[in-house]
Amino acid sequence: MKIVVAVKSVAALDDEFELSSDASAVDPDYLEWDLNEWDGFSLEAALELREAAGEGEVVALTVGAQDAEEALLNCLAKGADRGVRIWDDALEGADPLAVATVLAAAVEREAPDLVLCGVQSSDAVNGATGIALAGLLDLAHVAVVRSLDYDPATATATVERELEGGLVELLSVRLPALLTIQTGINQPRYATLRAIKQAREKPLAVEDLAALGLSEADLATAAGSRRRALAIPDRGDGAEMLGGSVEQMAERIAELVKERTG
Amino acid sequence: MPRDPKYDILFEPIQIGPKTLKNRFYQVPHCIGAGSEKPGMQAYHRGMKAEGGWAACCTEYCSIHPESDDTSRVSARIWDEGDVRNLAAMCDRLHEFGALAGIELWYGGPHAPCMETRATPRGPSQVASDFELNIFPRYMDKDDIDTVQQMYVDAALRAREAGFDIIYVYGAHAYLPFQFLSPYYNRRSDEYGGSFENRARFWRESLIKVREAVGDDCAIASRFAVDHLLGPASIEVGEDGVRFVEHCDDVVDLWDFTVGDIAEWGQNAGPSRFFEENHEAPYTKQVKLGNHTNKPVVGVGRITNPDTMVAIIKSGQYDIIGAARPSISDPFLPQKIDEGRLDDIRECIGCNQCISRWEIGGPPMVCTQNATAGEEYRRGWHPEKFHPAANREKGVLVIGAGPAGMECAMVLGKRDFSAVHLVEGSQEIGGCVNWISKLGHSDGKENLFRGSARGLGEWQRIVNYRQIQLGKLKNVEVHLGSSLSVEQVLEYGAEIVIVATGCHFATDGLNAATHAPIEGADATLDWQLTPDEVVAGAKAIGKRVLVLENEAYFMGVSVAQKLAGEGHEVHIVTQAADIAKYMDYTLEAPMLHRDLHRLGVKVHPQTMLEKIEPGVCHAYNIWDPSHKDRFEVDSVVLCTARISDDQIYRELKSDRARLEAEGIEAVYVIGDAAAPRMIVDSIFDGHRLAREIDSPHPEMPLPFIRERRLWGNSGNGDYRAQLLNTADVAVV
Repeated sequence: MKIVVAVKSVAALDDEFELSSDASAVDPDYLEWDLNEWDGFSLEAALELREAAGEGEVVALTVGAQDAEEALLNCLAKGADRGVRIWDDALEGADPLAVATVLAAAVEREAPDLVLCGVQSSDAVNGATGIALAGLLDLAHVAVVRSLDYDPATATATVERELEGGLVELLSVRLPALLTIQTGINQPRYATLRAIKQAREKPLAVEDLAALGLSEADLATAAGSRRRALAIPDRGDGAEMLGGSVEQMAERIAELVKERTG
Repeated sequence: MPRDPKYDILFEPIQIGPKTLKNRFYQVPHCIGAGSEKPGMQAYHRGMKAEGGWAACCTEYCSIHPESDDTSRVSARIWDEGDVRNLAAMCDRLHEFGALAGIELWYGGPHAPCMETRATPRGPSQVASDFELNIFPRYMDKDDIDTVQQMYVDAALRAREAGFDIIYVYGAHAYLPFQFLSPYYNRRSDEYGGSFENRARFWRESLIKVREAVGDDCAIASRFAVDHLLGPASIEVGEDGVRFVEHCDDVVDLWDFTVGDIAEWGQNAGPSRFFEENHEAPYTKQVKLGNHTNKPVVGVGRITNPDTMVAIIKSGQYDIIGAARPSISDPFLPQKIDEGRLDDIRECIGCNQCISRWEIGGPPMVCTQNATAGEEYRRGWHPEKFHPAANREKGVLVIGAGPAGMECAMVLGKRDFSAVHLVEGSQEIGGCVNWISKLGHSDGKENLFRGSARGLGEWQRIVNYRQIQLGKLKNVEVHLGSSLSVEQVLEYGAEIVIVATGCHFATDGLNAATHAPIEGADATLDWQLTPDEVVAGAKAIGKRVLVLENEAYFMGVSVAQKLAGEGHEVHIVTQAADIAKYMDYTLEAPMLHRDLHRLGVKVHPQTMLEKIEPGVCHAYNIWDPSHKDRFEVDSVVLCTARISDDQIYRELKSDRARLEAEGIEAVYVIGDAAAPRMIVDSIFDGHRLAREIDSPHPEMPLPFIRERRLWGNSGNGDYRAQLLNTADVAVV
């Protein structure tokens, strides 16, 4: 059984940060990179399926620059067998449809039984890439999976979808398929020091668009949106703290009430 | 990060007499166990706070004459030129960092037993100390009064020579000037007794004489307990309290207010178990808010929260924020507020471990939250600076995220280890603190003589601080919910393994008194419990409970408080002379006893159990074992021996060949897993190992500087030479 897990290295903001000079992005000096929280759960789901089957391959796949390598190594340390990182300068600022187009080319090459994605990423929060990928690959797909049971005999996954108001939808889907995984579905394992060291010896391929047979023009056609600018909203003035004796505070409150209500 | 403008007020300078405080953070006089005879410890502990931004740091109470000798408790002394030289080291260090140096001139009277000097203390009347055992003062006639006042003047002159900027005439905590002021001590019928003005005369005259001697160069301060908390028998804030402030306002540059005295010092240095932050406000705020003074006022109240500090100044309660314990817990509190690093502040938990060492008499201070307190000079530890470890490329596995494990992992992380994994079996970080902080009880009612029962919730700050720091360390990973087997540890890939797996309570009644189990004791049964099981709540506890308390600190009594607070009928049995002896030292005992009485808890000291049966415990008097007693109870809590959970350490050590094969170079054990101890000591243990992890034999603590007389001639270098080469010693 081969499972591809599409992961993302996401940026975490410090309390203080600045935007780049053209306001198109946050200045990278203020960013810290980590494996997307949802992807820890989807990777765990893949590893559990491989363990239950007693055989198989789990491939961690990401679209990201050098900064993203750490997240991929993290997946390898946790137990993924192989990693693939795709990057091209043209991918700077790529939207979910462009990223899905690149992922689709890589997934097609792998021809897996199952593709797992996170429901969303914690930085861009579009929640679109996984399903777009399913669409491009014309794969059966289920979104927001909170429970997963796989029957190898019938190659069918029984899944629960999380809906609003506590409702749960029960579906079964035949592989090959794509699932977007919700947090809390399992308890993600962590990597020991040995596993972290050994991760560096696992295969990790770094490829550009050309290697996948894609061009910049393909990206431009695929893209559904373009980020024009970012801005930091103005902060409010904050609260006025009232102090002094009880009488003094009561007086001030009365004043404020008169002022505001006229 | 820039300072939040709402804290700007804390950084405004303020004039006190001829001196200027650069901000409103003021370390009030407090004990550290250094005095004038450990000048290195004195200078470096105070200096650390100056480096951290405190505008002024004071000595502890400083004896002005051999007649004021508190041995074995450690006071500072300014008796002679040698003391001038030694305390000048402190002044120089403070001035280096732009802080003012304060000295609290102290004459104890009958509260100072003079066990070293063999002198006879003097006092206003022959009233024995209510604090010391059987100590009477010599009655002071007019000549004696002049003599003692001259002692203050001579001491003040020596203080100025040493470089002090702020000189106190200290009367708070019921020392000599207060003994004249208060009718509780003063039975005189001359012009120094009787009326308010007469009783205030000694103090006022002393202030005037000191002022005349050094007042042009130094700020004259006075520490005054505005309310003795004994009602009309002594000083009450609304009566003689504010009257005294008005009476001496013209001869004082700075007022430093407290409440209470040394006999029940816990009303002032209030532990968090019974007193909230800023707990002295109802008394001390009356002075400024009642317009009784034109001079700057500093006061305390275990004030740890920057927002509280701002409110205190803006509301007109104090002008300057005084702190002892919050400055011990975090010498860099002012700087962290200034730099907008509020979540790096290590908040005092109000456990009073620092104070306990002074109460015991002799040992250097300690601090649960700050393992470097008292170690600044003798071990060269700096709370905010950590030298990269020489062996930092080694991977480290710390097993157990309790106090010792958290501290060790944090310091290793700050020493730039490339990879530290802190692995905890339970789902929460914090170890025993998580259930200990739920002990005691809180009812929110101030019905306990000024305080209220508040529980141990503030102790959870031990975990809060470390959790935040560990989260910030990119080289430290914390993994919860992972109980490692020996095999998993061996295959983890760490070169250094540190076992911090804590301990458990004996279930068979094994105890320190008899060194044997107790017949019938079995906490595996559902009607017998260990203290942690009381908090865990899995076992139902019957109405009538007997708590066997053999550990002399907070565990047994805190369980009793919790159960009594929940409506159980509780008996505490202890073989000791009294329950919770160590809580005398942490100043929690008086309020504890009030609380236990209020809750109807029955205390049975000097009693031991010989047999436990369902429904009844059989006891005997330790002095006459034939004198028996029976307690009919439904449940029994065994607060007896603790036993290290060190199995994994023993197993790892048992197979050296395997350790070598797996690349494990060292295995250490720290905290309760090594030997059950107080939390303050577990945290220290973890801290020390991390500081010395790159020394030749890390399991053995390195020598520290002992400040002692070396025969023949010796300089500071000789003391430093006692330290072996160690990687993590700050430049002293």
